[in-house]
Amino acid sequence: MSSLFGILSIATGALGADQGAMDATTNNVANANTPGYSRLRPVLTENVPIVVGSLTYGSGVSLEKLQSLRDPILQVRIDEETQQQGQLNAFVSAMQQAQTQFSGGSGDIGTQISNFFSSLSQLGPDPESLSLRQGVLTAAGNLANSFNNAANNLTQQRSSLDLGVTQAVEQINSLTGQIAQLNTHISELQGVNQDASAFLDQRDDLIGQLSSLIDVSTIQSDDGLTLTTSNGTALVAGGQSFSLSTQVNSSGFQDVYSSQGSDITTQLTSGQLAGLLAARDQNIPALLSNLDTLSSGLANALNTANQQGFDLSGNAGGNIFTPPPANGQGYAANMAIAITDPSLIAASSDGTPGSNGNVAVLSAVDSSPVAGGQTPTDYYSNVVFGVGNDVSNATAELNASQLILNQLQDQRGQISGVSLDEEAANMVQYQNAYNAAARVVTTIDEMLQTVINMGVTS
Amino acid sequence: MSSIRVNPYPMPDLLAALEHLQQQQNTDTLELATGTKINQPSDDPAGAAQLVQINDSLGQTDSFQRSIASISDQFSTANSILSSVVSAVQRAISLGVEGANGTLSQDDRDNVAAEVSGIQSQLISLANTSYQGQYLFAGTTNLQPYIADPNSPSGVTYQGNTGTNQVTIGNGYQIQVNLPGSQLFNAPGSDMFQAVNDLITGLKNDSGIDTAVSELNAAYTYLTGQQVFYGNAINQVQDQQTYLSSAQVSLEQQQNTVAAADIAGTATQLASAQTAENATLSAIGRSPQSSLFDYLPL
Repeated sequence: MSSLFGILSIATGALGADQGAMDATTNNVANANTPGYSRLRPVLTENVPIVVGSLTYGSGVSLEKLQSLRDPILQVRIDEETQQQGQLNAFVSAMQQAQTQFSGGSGDIGTQISNFFSSLSQLGPDPESLSLRQGVLTAAGNLANSFNNAANNLTQQRSSLDLGVTQAVEQINSLTGQIAQLNTHISELQGVNQDASAFLDQRDDLIGQLSSLIDVSTIQSDDGLTLTTSNGTALVAGGQSFSLSTQVNSSGFQDVYSSQGSDITTQLTSGQLAGLLAARDQNIPALLSNLDTLSSGLANALNTANQQGFDLSGNAGGNIFTPPPANGQGYAANMAIAITDPSLIAASSDGTPGSNGNVAVLSAVDSSPVAGGQTPTDYYSNVVFGVGNDVSNATAELNASQLILNQLQDQRGQISGVSLDEEAANMVQYQNAYNAAARVVTTIDEMLQTVINMGVTS
Repeated sequence: MSSIRVNPYPMPDLLAALEHLQQQQNTDTLELATGTKINQPSDDPAGAAQLVQINDSLGQTDSFQRSIASISDQFSTANSILSSVVSAVQRAISLGVEGANGTLSQDDRDNVAAEVSGIQSQLISLANTSYQGQYLFAGTTNLQPYIADPNSPSGVTYQGNTGTNQVTIGNGYQIQVNLPGSQLFNAPGSDMFQAVNDLITGLKNDSGIDTAVSELNAAYTYLTGQQVFYGNAINQVQDQQTYLSSAQVSLEQQQNTVAAADIAGTATQLASAQTAENATLSAIGRSPQSSLFDYLPL
């Protein structure tokens, strides 16, 4: 048989459970806008009943735990997509800047090549004219400048990407440090069977930030969480973090090193760092080397053509442009005209001043294979196609990745997001339950009063 | 209750949509402002590469046309000079025929000879014509081609050379732009200056006038033949000019096809992006300002 005190303890137990549930609701409402927060749900369980003879008495409710609602698999997908997005974002914004050098404005290389050959062909009808000769020389100077500008801007961009690499590595180190610290807290709490959901939320958020910077693989083991890059470089193992470092390489750019001292620059596959490195070490250098090939090919061909003719004074022609190095390396940045006297343009093919025979030889460079077996304009148009294609492909991927990420975050919101309506409904429910339990306590109290006052005469 | 839970935070989705719409509007506005849909290579990589080629071809076409403008003036000048030369030679022939008339006295013949000397000077000056600082008939030298020279059998000395120039007026299309004086006026067997000088000598000595006249006739025939060169050249460059103009039009059309913004289409797209943006904004504005909390009794 149940006692009044037994019933009272059921009621007070209910008061405690409802209070705990209310706590979860309050915490949810308070963190409604906290990034990375996963909502809490009170887990209420029925107490083990008491069996007396043929009767079974219920013994009330207890709050087992506050469960944090999260989907670890979804979180991993989000992190992966964030890495992808970080890489594409960094790459696209770098290459978008690079492609402005090839946007077809009035000063771009393609226009200057056309202008140069156009000025040359105007010299044909009147090879003795000093003003037309000056026109050719000016166009040659502009052509050299357009190469210089494009090459210098690209080089400068490499330097600022390099700075970006250093900054990304610093951010990564700071994040891995914080994650290691949280790991310690989490395993301490979990060791004594405490709820660590607040720290878990924070850690998920930090891993998300880390994912936008570098490729991260997460391994959950008994002794905590281990983070590595996809090639296996350790970033965090339990409570310990491993800092990455940077060292200047032979070309003057920062390479990324693991804490063990091995160079992992070329092994990073996603995250902002990989995007920066791809633009800095592959795409922009490829563009620069294309410009070197084109500028040195053009200069060599035009110099050779000029040497085949005779200048206005009947002397054999010399170089129009400063001679490029044998492999052409770095020439785009240093291309310059070698002559300032317009009469030195070798228009004549026989030494007589009125002959224009060599103008045709110079003009023929426009349609000769001077760079990579292609004419200057063909080669340049391929460069333009290449850079445009890089940017446009990466942008399409970036947009797709953004959509996927939105979708995934939507899913995460479905599971972990705080709905204020839901919390309000829960609050009403818990409050009513609490009020009811309190009413039960009052009733028991009255019943006890009745019992206590039995036999007392006033 | 087992319905699928709805993401309580639609805001990031809405903001992403908004950002996308704003980007679309920026692109459209840029297209409308510049009139081209290729403002950077990534807008259309293949189109941007094609544009480089088309612009280069346009530049070439333009410079061919400029060359043609410059040489066709040169051709016309040379042609009209040559016509004057031909009529001067014609006059010399009639003077020669007159001088061969046996009824003339030596005085009369001397007068005719003086007149022919005048023609000789005129011919020298015509052969020395320059166009924009360049002698038309000096080959490729910049020396005055003819100098009167009493010691020379032809009465003149040719200082020019036999060089000719070619000018490119199309892809792989070159045209010869000059005839050297030595070819025009001193061709063996049709040497104009020799013939004129022979006539003067003949008139003065009353011998060999007929021979000189027949020499002049040969030079006359030869020169009219050479005039065809300039006539042909003028026709050729005019034809090429017509071709280049139409090539230019077709290149410009190509350029338009590749790069020109579809103004009507883009404007419509811009308008619809703006409408969509307004709709999204109003959706954001209308997203519940309140929750169940607002309806609970205090």
